[in-house]
Amino acid sequence: MSDNGQPLPDGPAIAFEEVEKGFDGRTVLDKVSFSVAHGEALCILGRSGTGKSVTLKLMIGLLMADAGKVMVEGADMATLEEDGLMKVRRRMGYLFQSAALFDSFTLCENLAMPLHRLDGSKSREQIKQAVEETLQEVGLEKDGNKMPSALSGGMQKRAGLARALVLQPKILLVDEPSSGLDRITAGEIDQLLMKVKTERHTTMVIVTHDIHGARKIADKFAVLDQGRLLAFGPPAELDKNPDNRLQQFISER
Amino acid sequence: MLKSVFDSIGRVTLFGAKAFRDAWVPPFEGEYLLMQFYEIGVGSFLLVVAAGFALGVVMTLHTRSTLVQFGATAEIPVFQSLAFFNEIGPLVTALLMAGRVGAGMGAQLANMRATEQIDAIETLSVNSFKLLVVTRVIACTIMLPLLTIFMDAAGILGGFLSEHLASHLGWTLYMQRAFDGVALADFIPPTLKTAIFGYLIATISCFYGYTTNEGSDGVRKAATNSVVISSLVIILADVILVKCIFFLFPDQAI
Repeated sequence: MSDNGQPLPDGPAIAFEEVEKGFDGRTVLDKVSFSVAHGEALCILGRSGTGKSVTLKLMIGLLMADAGKVMVEGADMATLEEDGLMKVRRRMGYLFQSAALFDSFTLCENLAMPLHRLDGSKSREQIKQAVEETLQEVGLEKDGNKMPSALSGGMQKRAGLARALVLQPKILLVDEPSSGLDRITAGEIDQLLMKVKTERHTTMVIVTHDIHGARKIADKFAVLDQGRLLAFGPPAELDKNPDNRLQQFISER
Repeated sequence: MLKSVFDSIGRVTLFGAKAFRDAWVPPFEGEYLLMQFYEIGVGSFLLVVAAGFALGVVMTLHTRSTLVQFGATAEIPVFQSLAFFNEIGPLVTALLMAGRVGAGMGAQLANMRATEQIDAIETLSVNSFKLLVVTRVIACTIMLPLLTIFMDAAGILGGFLSEHLASHLGWTLYMQRAFDGVALADFIPPTLKTAIFGYLIATISCFYGYTTNEGSDGVRKAATNSVVISSLVIILADVILVKCIFFLFPDQAI
């Protein structure tokens, strides 16, 4: 059962089946297969340019696979029409590496924008309350009227997370939550993600280079190397793997 | 080279057709549409009125020096109004809008693409094309004729001021002469053709902004292409539209 008492769909929340993706003749993902169970947190690790962010964009349908299947809650992303794609996305949240806040809107307007459009059942007062509650959750309750340009890098990340959470998504995709942040601020973002995981039981897929943060949050690691899935499984299990290359990615030293 | 030009024409055409089709399908994004009306209409008002007024003054100065030689200075008001209604008002307004609004649309959308804001809109289950492109196309299509009317009015006002200073011609007589012999067909079709100019400016500018994917260089290219291509297409479209008006209203062609 999900946290709101509704039965979860059968099967994994997200499944990659032999997924291939390339750009301008260069293969970025080569027959990648893995799955993420409901409520599970998966951290995708690997060197820059190995297709980690592409993997996230395939999950939410910003990119489409060249071959193989990307299944989200049982729906094949490649076969969905626009309406179907929007319905699947309605259950997902996405935190961009750059936060990607709408720079002509205040923070409150950034959060209210999807609520106005997608949650017709809410009055203006209820939307305002939902926005305030979400900002409070990420510690930005006093910054709602600021423009994104007036926020620091860490605050922008938290604001991006708030926008991703405001629609109460069942699946949260996070791209490099700690990039460009100092260790303390990165730790605060990790704490927020931990809170989302434990309190909301949200399925999470996090792309990161920060193995320290990844070990705190992840139930499983997926390690990508040169477009291929080098390893997949719980951190404790992967720690026992003697592969030197794998250990370079997942070792905290 | 030629293949690339035809490819671009084809893609812009499909982009514009999609914008036209989606304009009739809900949701209509009323709040965002109003913002665009404000940005395009109110934001351009002073520019259009100032340009129209200055053109009106200059036009009268030029025509006066010629018409004086033929003793036809009484015709200055009607020359002024016909010139503004038929061509100067619609064309100059459209070119000004291509510069101000077109560049703004192209640069803003390209920047939103470069900073992943358009992707962010999509991830929030909001149709970014309807929100960003369709609203701009509708607003620009509707605002251009309205701004043209203000350009015409400012031009005639500028012409009056210039003529009044030169010959002490009164307001009532100037207006009487300006509208004497001017038919509705002199005013309505040329003003309405600017709706097509507005549609072209917004479609071309949004196309270059929305479809770019080249970071900050894409922003520069989108802004430049929006202005250059929009201006060129407006002038070419004007030739065709004037021919169409002459075909539909043969009296105008005399």
